[in-house]
Amino acid sequence: MRQPPYHLRPNKAVDRLLLIEAIRHLGKSTELDQYTYYGLGGPYLEDFRLLHESFPELGLVSIEGNRQIFKRQEFHVPCGKIQLQNTDFSSFLRQYDSRDRKSIFWLDYTGLGYSQFDDFMSLLEKVAAGSIVKVTLRAQPCDYFQQERLDDFKRMFEVFLPNSSGVLPRSREDFAKLVQDMLQIAAQRALPGGCGMAYQPLSSFYYKDRTGIFTLTGIVCERANLRNVRASFSNWQYVSLNWARPKQIDVPFLSTKERLHLQKHLPCRLDSGESLVRALGYYVDDNRRKSIKKMRQYAHFYRHFPYFMKAIP
Amino acid sequence: MSKQEQMRYEPVEASPVKQFFVHMLTRDITLGDAILDLLDNCVDGILRSKKRIAGKRPYAGFKAEVEFKRDSFMISDNCGGIPWSLHRYAFKMGRSSDHPKETPGTVGVYGIGMKRAIFKMGKDCLISTKSGRHEYNVHITPEWIANEKEWMIPVSASDGGKKVEGTTILVGALNPDIADRFSADANDFKAELERMVSTHYAFIIDKGFEVRINGDLVKPRPTRLIFAERPRDKRAAAIQPYIFRTRTKDGVDVFLAVGFTRPIPSEDEAIAEREEKRYSSMDAGWTVVCNDRAVLYCDRSELTGWGEAGVPRYHFQFTAISGVVEFRADDASKLPTTTTKRGIDASSRLYLQVKNKMREGMGIFINYTNKWKAHADESRQHIGKGTSLSFEEVRTKANTLAFKATKASVPKGEQYRPDLPMPKKVEPRKRRISFVKDAGDVRLVAEHLFKDDNTDPSIVGETCFDLVLRETKD
Repeated sequence: MRQPPYHLRPNKAVDRLLLIEAIRHLGKSTELDQYTYYGLGGPYLEDFRLLHESFPELGLVSIEGNRQIFKRQEFHVPCGKIQLQNTDFSSFLRQYDSRDRKSIFWLDYTGLGYSQFDDFMSLLEKVAAGSIVKVTLRAQPCDYFQQERLDDFKRMFEVFLPNSSGVLPRSREDFAKLVQDMLQIAAQRALPGGCGMAYQPLSSFYYKDRTGIFTLTGIVCERANLRNVRASFSNWQYVSLNWARPKQIDVPFLSTKERLHLQKHLPCRLDSGESLVRALGYYVDDNRRKSIKKMRQYAHFYRHFPYFMKAIP
Repeated sequence: MSKQEQMRYEPVEASPVKQFFVHMLTRDITLGDAILDLLDNCVDGILRSKKRIAGKRPYAGFKAEVEFKRDSFMISDNCGGIPWSLHRYAFKMGRSSDHPKETPGTVGVYGIGMKRAIFKMGKDCLISTKSGRHEYNVHITPEWIANEKEWMIPVSASDGGKKVEGTTILVGALNPDIADRFSADANDFKAELERMVSTHYAFIIDKGFEVRINGDLVKPRPTRLIFAERPRDKRAAAIQPYIFRTRTKDGVDVFLAVGFTRPIPSEDEAIAEREEKRYSSMDAGWTVVCNDRAVLYCDRSELTGWGEAGVPRYHFQFTAISGVVEFRADDASKLPTTTTKRGIDASSRLYLQVKNKMREGMGIFINYTNKWKAHADESRQHIGKGTSLSFEEVRTKANTLAFKATKASVPKGEQYRPDLPMPKKVEPRKRRISFVKDAGDVRLVAEHLFKDDNTDPSIVGETCFDLVLRETKD
């Protein structure tokens, strides 16, 4: 079976490192050894590798339904601490009992379907207060350009759609916002005001490596504690606490030589895009406007952008 | 006890208790339904002020705006206001026997909807209305609610700020659970309310009424049924709805249509849905409309005939079947609704009779689905030849169809039974085989056949059958 090279997707790599930052912020106010990370890590368990390197105290559980990928995970396992489980996520969730232990979940899906919303809501109902739930979904508006697919989408997600207009946005940014609105409705449905718990968003991004992706990270906490939670994340550069429009990750492909050249100009105090384009002396995209936009993205995320190098074993 | 010793009993008190209306009656209705009750009052206001509802868009120009926030709820309309002549009745808890005769087509019967909706939400309410030359405010305060002895509510003249005839209801001092719905759950609640309005009010919005919720215009979501014209050869079959219509002796018009809304799902799709829920909701089943307002939307229970008297229980295979039955009466008390107006009085004689026809109609489409489910692709072609018609369009179309009287059955009326295409052979050319085997054994066979123990189990099973078939033929 074919798997996309997840570990080589640059925007996804940034997203992964932003999760590390979110957990680092979490760690300022709580002990991370109380947490277990549950992920759908794919064949290479890249997220597990990074998490273990950054937070060795975290418990680690990988959930994988596909037998062959599970075998590859056994082969790639990056540390002895990971518990690998060969089961689909819905079955895992039915068995899952937090026992008041805090968790960090990454529902890292590649599709967009009702069952994923169902999983998300079930999970919010089950996790202990203080747990982080990150969900990643496909957000590709052109999937629904055909009337039949559009009708199917509306039937699939009717109870989560924020309005009755029946029109789906055609731009990636607007579509990502729609998916976020749908998740907000799902979260409010799973944790209604009366239950005393809430899902507080922490960050929200959309990006495209090959397909459009939307990713939302949030924390389940007691409503009475919402103000403290917000305060503890408020000085994080990438925070998004109010269900505002998702931010874009769109880092440019730069050579190692270009990146080393730009190092001394970063971080930029003034307009980062202009400065970096000037520093390079040429455009990295079709025109000046696009190049400035790309370089702004680079300035924003350069600390989370991994180096991809050719290696000869 | 001798006659002399007999106790003198005082009469017992049976007067109403205000708290019953405030705390108990409000439990019988959901927040969404309570708000729909307020919208019903807006529409009743139109009927009172307009006198005659005719044409394609009789409600055009009339609108209601709903706005909810953390600490308040407001509904404002331009639907004629509460006439001063009705002030003695409109604010009473329940309808008194001397209530003036209602305007034909209104749905208010019990005189409780507005008050129940207000008490459901909060304890402080200001009702401002302008009707004709009268413009006045009625203020229900928390003190008034708490005072069991006080049943009169002061009315004050308003400052003349309203430019159009209409009513504004502003509710404050929200109950804590309602404040939660309007703040912590605001997005979920708005989506839910919008969905309720877009379905239950689909007919009225389609006819011109405008509803906004927190500024967003609600679009109607009417049920649309597939109608394919029969070819010139009138004997040829085509996908068309079953239609029944009648007028009862006590003046209730009934119009019922049931058919397909989309292509039927294949057996594989039905199995996939059974194994993993793919859809968050189903716009299949019966919608019951009383005087333009849907009192039941896409119901798939015994209430609408599913799973009783020879009709199978609803399941995903029947997701393409939808029906609408409309009851229309000048006297709303003749309609088969409950006090909440969002439910059917299942014991209503009229409804039970009409339900016979609902079952008869859907039986035709259940039969078609069962016959074609193994050939869903071919069926898709039949259904694809048709166009989607709204209920009103079906009603118009009905005038061109050949109805037959149903004298021998109850209720009497006339019906149109479509002639749906049927497969030439009743026996399907293909049969489904499904079975369950131990997962380890399936992987073992998959490894043996394909050198890949992760092969889809259905492919493993099918290959096993093909191998045996080849052997048998050899």
